[in-house]
Amino acid sequence: MKKEITKYYPLIPVFAAYLLLFLIGRNISGMWQLVAMLLFYCALGQAFNIFLGMTGYVDFGYVAFMGIGTYGMALAITKLAHIEGLGIGIIIIGFILALLMSTLLSVAVGAVALRLRGAYFAIATIGVNEGFRFLIEGARIWNGSEGLIFTAQLNEILGREAASSLMTYWADIMVLIIAALAAFVTLYYMRSKIGYALTALREDEDAAKVMGINVTKYKIIAFITSACFAGLVGATSWALKTPYVFPPEVFEIHYTIEAIIIVLLGGAGTLLGPVAGGLIYGISKYYLAIFMPGFQLLIFAPIIIIIIVLFPEGVVGMLKYRLKDSALARFII
Amino acid sequence: MPLLKLENVTKRFGGLTAVNHVSLEIDHGEFIGIVGPNGSGKTTLFNVISGVYFPEEGSVIFDDLDITLLPPYKRAPLGIGRTFQIPRPFGSASVRENIAVGAMFGTLSGKVSVDESLQIADQTIERVRLQEHRDKPAGTLTPVEKKLMEIARALAMKPKLLLMDEAMAGMHPNDIDQMVAFIKQIAVEEKIAIVSMVEHIMRAVVGMAEKVIVLHQGSKIVDAPTKEALEDPKVVEVYLGHPPEE
Amino acid sequence: MLLEQLSGNLIQGIILGAVYGMATMGLSLIFGVLKVVNVGHGAFIMVGAFVTLWLFNALGINPIIALPGAFVIGMGLGLIFYYTTMQRLIKAPELATLLATFSIGILLEELVKLIFGSEFRGYNWVVGKIDIGVTVLPLSKLYACIGSVIIALLLYLWFKKTRAGSAIRSVVEDSEGARVCGVNVGGAYALSFALGIGLTVSSGVLLTMFIPVGINPYMGGGYTLKAFVIAVLGGLSSPYGAFFGGLVFGLIENGSYTLFALIPGVEPFALTRFLSFVILLAILLIKPTGLLSTK
Repeated sequence: MKKEITKYYPLIPVFAAYLLLFLIGRNISGMWQLVAMLLFYCALGQAFNIFLGMTGYVDFGYVAFMGIGTYGMALAITKLAHIEGLGIGIIIIGFILALLMSTLLSVAVGAVALRLRGAYFAIATIGVNEGFRFLIEGARIWNGSEGLIFTAQLNEILGREAASSLMTYWADIMVLIIAALAAFVTLYYMRSKIGYALTALREDEDAAKVMGINVTKYKIIAFITSACFAGLVGATSWALKTPYVFPPEVFEIHYTIEAIIIVLLGGAGTLLGPVAGGLIYGISKYYLAIFMPGFQLLIFAPIIIIIIVLFPEGVVGMLKYRLKDSALARFII
Repeated sequence: MPLLKLENVTKRFGGLTAVNHVSLEIDHGEFIGIVGPNGSGKTTLFNVISGVYFPEEGSVIFDDLDITLLPPYKRAPLGIGRTFQIPRPFGSASVRENIAVGAMFGTLSGKVSVDESLQIADQTIERVRLQEHRDKPAGTLTPVEKKLMEIARALAMKPKLLLMDEAMAGMHPNDIDQMVAFIKQIAVEEKIAIVSMVEHIMRAVVGMAEKVIVLHQGSKIVDAPTKEALEDPKVVEVYLGHPPEE
Repeated sequence: MLLEQLSGNLIQGIILGAVYGMATMGLSLIFGVLKVVNVGHGAFIMVGAFVTLWLFNALGINPIIALPGAFVIGMGLGLIFYYTTMQRLIKAPELATLLATFSIGILLEELVKLIFGSEFRGYNWVVGKIDIGVTVLPLSKLYACIGSVIIALLLYLWFKKTRAGSAIRSVVEDSEGARVCGVNVGGAYALSFALGIGLTVSSGVLLTMFIPVGINPYMGGGYTLKAFVIAVLGGLSSPYGAFFGGLVFGLIENGSYTLFALIPGVEPFALTRFLSFVILLAILLIKPTGLLSTK
């Protein structure tokens, strides 16, 4: 039994980081906004890492899952607000709907795109977010390009005060829980057959097949899991924090870029990587926005290039290498 | 009942016929050498057996089961293991994890747990004497160590048939002798049929083999017990300029 | 009436298609030789558009003359990015090259934004138009089409007739074989990357001749997606395949726009973009080597 517990030691630094963030946000005035942003980036990184990091496949359309999750929550609130007595239950239905819709979209996209390898997969996904956005706008689905605005409904369901504390505080706590959950699932996968299969197919897909691994099955598992977490992040960070949804905003490729930067910066396929990446990226973005507004991407683009060329294993990858013979090694993967 | 039976297998790429109506039989525990110069269709034949390619014609029967169109990941658990001409380790994973993957996904029951697989890996590592390298990333091994690791990974699958693609290429002659003796010993102990594919009629490999199959331009030209095969005039003709080593 | 409108649109489609095709040749060349997907493709088109805009508005130089200038700038950018980044990633996993080219694209967009700002711009090059019955064609569009065809022909001749061209062709066929035969594969990589980027930046000039408005640092994203559809139509690794893929795509885009416009209650422009995405997925699924290729 003790062995079972030691397997989960690497969660300690991850959870410690989240706890520290929470305490800083609670106790230092004016810090909550930054903490909320950092939690969002950590959750985003943790979610994307399950696919990008563990399989080595690049999904340029990843933001589509956040977008569809946002719509899930938005639809639950706008369509059900008039029903008396559901109250907070509507939010729960929203989460279920967000999960359901991101699962459906990921199954649909995965069934097509995951038949393709490497570069072909990346090309197929580069249009997913745009394609979906243009479908919603073009066919006027869910109010088309006018989007959905549901501040009033949220106030109606929860009352003005509770709605406001949901937007400014509880939604962020939910993001924290989602991030922690994603970290747990990541480690659970790593320690199970799924993780071994994903490592094998990331390194050499053909050899993995010949070793008896049903690569499509494991890619789809990682893809759907990752998409579900993206859906939850969208439903919380976007729908609940800012109660409106416009197609061009929630399908903006920019967020995929941020997720990629975070995962790479921290170390693709590591557990602690997304936390490290999320913190470094979030803090630098926050201060760059203050000191050099509008130039974040100009600074980040060459940084990604430098990381790819010189430090492809990321911060945690390097740390892991440095600590590999020390007592700390078992806490960091 | 042969372990593996190919019936009239043909594999084409565009206009090129890589494997041309090849039939062959391999029995349980047999050690067979497939010999053929570069481009003779050996690797394609391996890929047809392990499921990387499906043949256009003919059938592949393994253990009484028609596996002609079975995807590769379903073949490995039936007992078909293989190594590659250029080793293909899962580079970032440790030697132990690489071998555990073989046990985890390549065994028949399909229900070997992660812990059990790691135990099997540890045992297999000892057999191929890679203990010192157990926790190194497989990508950092030397070429010979990688070959050993691949053999271990395949052995962890508990195969009935082991396909070895140029297992000895690039090795020192002394190592080759040792390696071949080692493989032969394992094959006998575990009753694994071994198909070892070589480009040249290599004394060490062919000497150990009970039977030699010679491929030439995609067709089987000789299939006979080793001694007969080496004296066959067609073999001498294919290898004109490369007569069999003494 | 509809038929007339449709045939007019299809003629425009073919002309636009030639420009699209030319705008994709660089992508296919780079993929064919280096096996690298240039995800930042659209950003290089955008650079070409800004070169044209700047030369025209600031110096009064007409876009046709801007063309060789854009080509040279593109070759220069290609060489810089090749030697600083791509060269080190040739043997790296796909993830690395995809993200590197993606980041190069962002870098270019942000640099251009820094210099020119992010508002939409345009220029007004008046050269007259001709009436061909079913539609009226501005001459600038016709020039863009002719320019594209000429460039495609020149590239074809260059590949067939020059030593460097045949060296690159041999690398496309079999890079190991080419190395054994004494081809400087590294040099072929650098030259192809530079040439590919040069072609792409030049195509930015031609595209603005077709659509001289809407020029802004982020205009490239849509072209990247279109270029992928076109490249995949043509088989991804063949520049000529890409050219013909462009013609087909131009027809589909303009034809479908006309038809979508007949459906009440939809936004036809958004639907044509959705359609191109669907086509992309469909081709990748049915025949990843390209509908127009024989392989």
